[in-house]
Amino acid sequence: MRYSEGTSSNWLMCVATSLLLAGCAQTIPEPIERHLDLVGDVPLNRATQTPADYALLEVGVEIFTAPQKESEDYEIGDWVFDEIIQKETQFLPHLLKNTLIDSNQWGAVRVIPESDPSLDLFIRGEIIQSNGKTLELQIQAFDSSGREWLNRVYADQSIQEEYPESTRFTLDDTFDAANFVEPFQDIYNRLANDLVEVRSNLGEQVLTELNLVTDMLYAKDLSPDTFAASLQETEDGLLRIDRLPSLDDPMIARVADMKYRHHLFIDTVDEYYQTLYDDIQPAYVLWRRYSIDQLTEEETSREEAGSSDYGNSSGFLSLSQRYDRFKWSKIFEREFTDLASGFNNELAPAFLELNSQVHGLTGTMEQQYREWRGILRRLFELENSDSATDSSN
Amino acid sequence: MTGNAGILRRLSRRASFFSAIATITCFALSVPAIGQDSLQQLDLDLPLRLDFSGSWEKDFRRSDNWEDELSRTLRIRQESAARQQSSPGSSRIRATPPISVGNINLPRTRRRGASIVDLARLAEYISRQNTIEIKQTRNEIIIERSGEAALVCGVEYDLQRTFANEHGVEVCGWDGQQLVFQIMLPDDLIIMHRFTVSSNQQVLNLLTSIYSKGGEPFNLIQAFTKYETPRDEFNCIQTLSRGQVCNQSGADLSGVLDN
Repeated sequence: MRYSEGTSSNWLMCVATSLLLAGCAQTIPEPIERHLDLVGDVPLNRATQTPADYALLEVGVEIFTAPQKESEDYEIGDWVFDEIIQKETQFLPHLLKNTLIDSNQWGAVRVIPESDPSLDLFIRGEIIQSNGKTLELQIQAFDSSGREWLNRVYADQSIQEEYPESTRFTLDDTFDAANFVEPFQDIYNRLANDLVEVRSNLGEQVLTELNLVTDMLYAKDLSPDTFAASLQETEDGLLRIDRLPSLDDPMIARVADMKYRHHLFIDTVDEYYQTLYDDIQPAYVLWRRYSIDQLTEEETSREEAGSSDYGNSSGFLSLSQRYDRFKWSKIFEREFTDLASGFNNELAPAFLELNSQVHGLTGTMEQQYREWRGILRRLFELENSDSATDSSN
Repeated sequence: MTGNAGILRRLSRRASFFSAIATITCFALSVPAIGQDSLQQLDLDLPLRLDFSGSWEKDFRRSDNWEDELSRTLRIRQESAARQQSSPGSSRIRATPPISVGNINLPRTRRRGASIVDLARLAEYISRQNTIEIKQTRNEIIIERSGEAALVCGVEYDLQRTFANEHGVEVCGWDGQQLVFQIMLPDDLIIMHRFTVSSNQQVLNLLTSIYSKGGEPFNLIQAFTKYETPRDEFNCIQTLSRGQVCNQSGADLSGVLDN
């Protein structure tokens, strides 16, 4: 096929105009520089002595969420990075949990798949931004009575030096998990310190009542009809104890028994998340290292592009340089996407393992958790009906 | 084949193709549900595209030689200029670029575009690959050329932006059954790749056009023929820390990743 000069260009113009008209609206993406309120260097507030019992609240850190992008914002390959963020929602809570335990300020701290009525304090997070350089989280914490403890954005930035050489682990230089310090540890320290500050402002009486509210809330979750009158909602939307059953009420003993079993279950779930994190930590840290390398390279490339005067020459050298810069930046991004894809592949068995851990239950960890709570409720009803039959006989 | 007659012939062939597809689709819909379980469900929202997949090697005999093409282009321009000089009253038709890149924030100047010689050299520079590997699924097509970034495009009707940064923007789309990639580089330099596959899927044509600042393009056509590659004995999966993990085709890789 031979394109003569005049006809070929006209034909091209015609087709290109009709097909790629929307190309006129293509805009080069300007790097979005959002102002981040960074947490800075934050030492963790560790308790030298274990706090009083009433202050040892049981804490649940829910699996984080991530905002869903609009479908029109997607470019080819974006799903790979979405998948990584989805995985991060399952193991970043683990870092917060470890920090809270390390602070020695709290009772049991667990990572759980969803909101749990048996815990005193509940932490929910959304990953706004996560890569090797920046971590930005929207964190909300509230107690069992519904009181909001905090609701704010925490952001931190890392530098390349925070990723030691052992993060590029090879057969000779394996990842040293014991001595690795999380580059975004300041976020978790700040969050833990903020929670301690809120707790210290509440006082003994409020915290003691909070423990009772949690007990009754869990009892109500097991048997809504039986414990409906035990809690009352105040005008400001908080739950308060209205009527407490007698301490020697056998129902209370059964609730305590159920709560114990339930906590055994959520301890197990928490262990699975711990195992997941231990399994994937080396690959995850390596991934973040690649990510910060990529971002640093992008910045350098952007600076070079900004300082280049493309227009000074229309000669072949200038044209080929323009093409090469585009080509290499695209190849580099493609390689990074392949790495991201490789990271997802590497993590897949660990997530499969997490979801198949609980024998006899099926579905994802979240589904298994719901199933378990349903089983406990039915068990509680069954035990209550048995004891009612026994007493009538 | 040149000019409008050629275009009409191509359009007519395309119309025949679509009518054939429509006939097959209507027939398939009217057939009673025999063995429905074994039939793969077809997503009718996705357009059907010709099969570009396979390994392709350059057919030098049927491909343009860039120097010959440059000479031909220069000769045509000289003849055209001579004609215009001999009839000064005639209005000069000037080509406009397929796309205005004035609003893509790329560095630009108001100087003249690159010479046709430089455009021709660039066309040769970016067309040095002798082989192309194309993978195609129901959703996307991936064109791999050695030493080049892969060209990836979905099969949808819409124009798709496939890459964008400070060094340029790449979009792709379909013009009928032709796959078009357009790369907009700084200073109004535009590269367009147009892939066409023959109906028997044995010949692949790639037309590369390069525009500078809205001037006349330089076009280079390369023809490729399909060749068979031996079946890959290994089934590989990319991992982050261990690179490619492979085992023999057909075996399950999940066990390999667990270890």
